[in-house]
Amino acid sequence: MEQRPNQPTSVAVEHALRDLQNRTLANLDGDFARLIYLASTRDYNSGRYAHDGLSFRFTEPVAEQVLAEAHREVFVSLALSPLKILVAQLEQYIRSGCASPGELLATWHELEPFRILAPEYGDPITVQLFISNIRVALAIVRASCREHQRH
Amino acid sequence: MSEALILLAIGFLLVASLVYLLRRREAEADDRSWLQEGNSARPSVEFEDRQKEQLDRIFGREDWDFIRNGTTRPVQRLFLKERKGIALSWLSQLRSQARAGMDFHVTRVRASEELEPLAELRLAIDYYAFLAKCGLIAALVLLGGPMALRGMAGQAESLSNNLRGMLRASLKPQAFPQKTRIP
Repeated sequence: MEQRPNQPTSVAVEHALRDLQNRTLANLDGDFARLIYLASTRDYNSGRYAHDGLSFRFTEPVAEQVLAEAHREVFVSLALSPLKILVAQLEQYIRSGCASPGELLATWHELEPFRILAPEYGDPITVQLFISNIRVALAIVRASCREHQRH
Repeated sequence: MSEALILLAIGFLLVASLVYLLRRREAEADDRSWLQEGNSARPSVEFEDRQKEQLDRIFGREDWDFIRNGTTRPVQRLFLKERKGIALSWLSQLRSQARAGMDFHVTRVRASEELEPLAELRLAIDYYAFLAKCGLIAALVLLGGPMALRGMAGQAESLSNNLRGMLRASLKPQAFPQKTRIP
């Protein structure tokens, strides 16, 4: 098949994937943090992914494709993982946290910001499963936090 | 004649988008082993595996056992409510896919000169049996509560395979004689 002029080559994409994995994703603590990071590289309005470092080292189309693929893969992996693992991932994210656990749990429960973590993905059931599992995982973590506070 | 053409085009678009979605998901599963290093959650590499994983997640016992043994009653209720919603959405999606495939098939068959009544009858029986099975499982999920959700993975998988078989049968070239009245 003929390669279009602006279409990233598979070699470039592979290099960029390794670069993203080794330089950035490997330094993040857990899949949940990776998912949040990758979702944050997507523009809310255009839905396009951008990463200055990757674009500089490779090209913008390569960076965009790599971020989209990585986002989808981490998302599917979390969405289809057992609830037990998802709860552990969520707890790990909260522990490594940027906000106080109580505040984070309350905000996530009220506003459900995790809804925007889903990539543009062909299967609505997987997206629904992810959102639903996060709701349940949040309820479990909240209940265990309350239990800790009591003791 | 122009109405038939429009219907044919709509049907073709629906089935094409279905095939596109299935292929896209299949393509997504390929060549992503790089992300598995250091990941605690295991991504599957095959589309079939991924679909099976999805059904196991929705209908399987693993998550329910975890919830039942280690969480409070309100969390258990929330889990069952959520899973019930997803199971019903999944069934509804399956029905829509079957309906789209059947609509496309009927449109093509109407324009065909060489009907095979037996093959058509078999397909129609399969289709209505499939819808009835979907309805039965939906009723079980709605009325049965926790007991209904447990161990449904096998039923769901067979339903999913039924749909795939039906779509494959209805899209086979020999199932649609090419001599049509459309010039």
